Amino acid sequence: MRSEELIGRLAADLRPVRPMPPPALQALQWLLLALLVIGCAVAVYGLRHDIHDRMAIMWDVGQFLASVATGIAAAFAAALLARPDRPGAWALLPVGPLLLWLAALGWGTFADVHRIGPEAMAMDTSWGCLKFILGTGTPLTVALLLLLRHAGPVRPLPVLLLGGLASASLASAGLSLFHHLDAMLMVLIWHGSAVAVLVVLAWALGARLLLQVPRQG
Amino acid sequence: MVAAQAGDQRAYDRLLRAILPFLRAVVRRRIAHAAEAEDAVQDALLTLHQLRASYEPGRPLRPWLAAIAERRAVDRLRRHGRRQGRETPIDEFGETLAAPMANEGEARVAAAELRAAVADLPPAQRTALALAKLQDLPLAEASARSGMSVGALKVATHRAVKALRKRLGAEE
Repeated sequence: MRSEELIGRLAADLRPVRPMPPPALQALQWLLLALLVIGCAVAVYGLRHDIHDRMAIMWDVGQFLASVATGIAAAFAAALLARPDRPGAWALLPVGPLLLWLAALGWGTFADVHRIGPEAMAMDTSWGCLKFILGTGTPLTVALLLLLRHAGPVRPLPVLLLGGLASASLASAGLSLFHHLDAMLMVLIWHGSAVAVLVVLAWALGARLLLQVPRQG
Repeated sequence: MVAAQAGDQRAYDRLLRAILPFLRAVVRRRIAHAAEAEDAVQDALLTLHQLRASYEPGRPLRPWLAAIAERRAVDRLRRHGRRQGRETPIDEFGETLAAPMANEGEARVAAAELRAAVADLPPAQRTALALAKLQDLPLAEASARSGMSVGALKVATHRAVKALRKRLGAEE
């Protein structure tokens, strides 16, 4: 078929569409949803009993704020990258907060060792962390990918990764509001691995939620 | 594009025709092969049709179009690369049998068909063809040898060639 013929067919096939809202607005819509979901989860579990003490510890507040910032930045970056005409450099937006978050967790671990001695290195299993981050992060990832499904035919991979990161880091921030984990090393390992698992899941399975490249048939 | 989003078919048709050279230019920067490039252009048309809701009114259209065309061109190149990795060109294996004569079957059949076709021509045409074309004699000598006039020779040769063409399927 000649391209001019294809144009004739596409024009004849045209149905009106509503232009999508700007990407920043899409990101905000999703962030509100995330706030609602994670807020509900926190309300159900109740804030941790030592929240006031923990909030006095600088590294704790730092890691909390950095994880929130990572989530927000990743959501904006994903919404922008889903549009064909936005520069790919937006993918770097969450890198700064992400590094800050990891640095805060790392420094927190050192500070713990200094404060409570070698006990800070005690490892425990905390499947609860993994379950919570995956439990709230997965539906949020699905919602974000469906909202940004137009990324499929143009820039699927960064949007999948950023979508997983946005959901997981916000879920991790919510988790640290009610879950009792004393040692930062535990937070680093359990939250970190839960975030990694969700990002990998989004990367491996998320493409099905996006639009597929149209094929001539 | 805004009119197209609202469902204006004529505006959409005009727009797509107007941007076609631009899409082709973007794709041809990556793909040299003409047919492959045109396929990528059509992929780009399908994609922009699918994604037309994602265009934000008020923003420049070109970067949006260029990104889509670029993407489809890269896809085509990748698929092409994968195909080339799996496939082996078969031209090199055109000779399938070891005996040298065995691979000339087609040429022999064609030669036999041609001989049969020449044998079936009327005698005058056959003679004219043999002298004027096969032996490549000047018309005057061919005329002297065959006893036919130069004009008759010309007509007979012409008819012979036409008859052969028709019989061997070369006409038209």
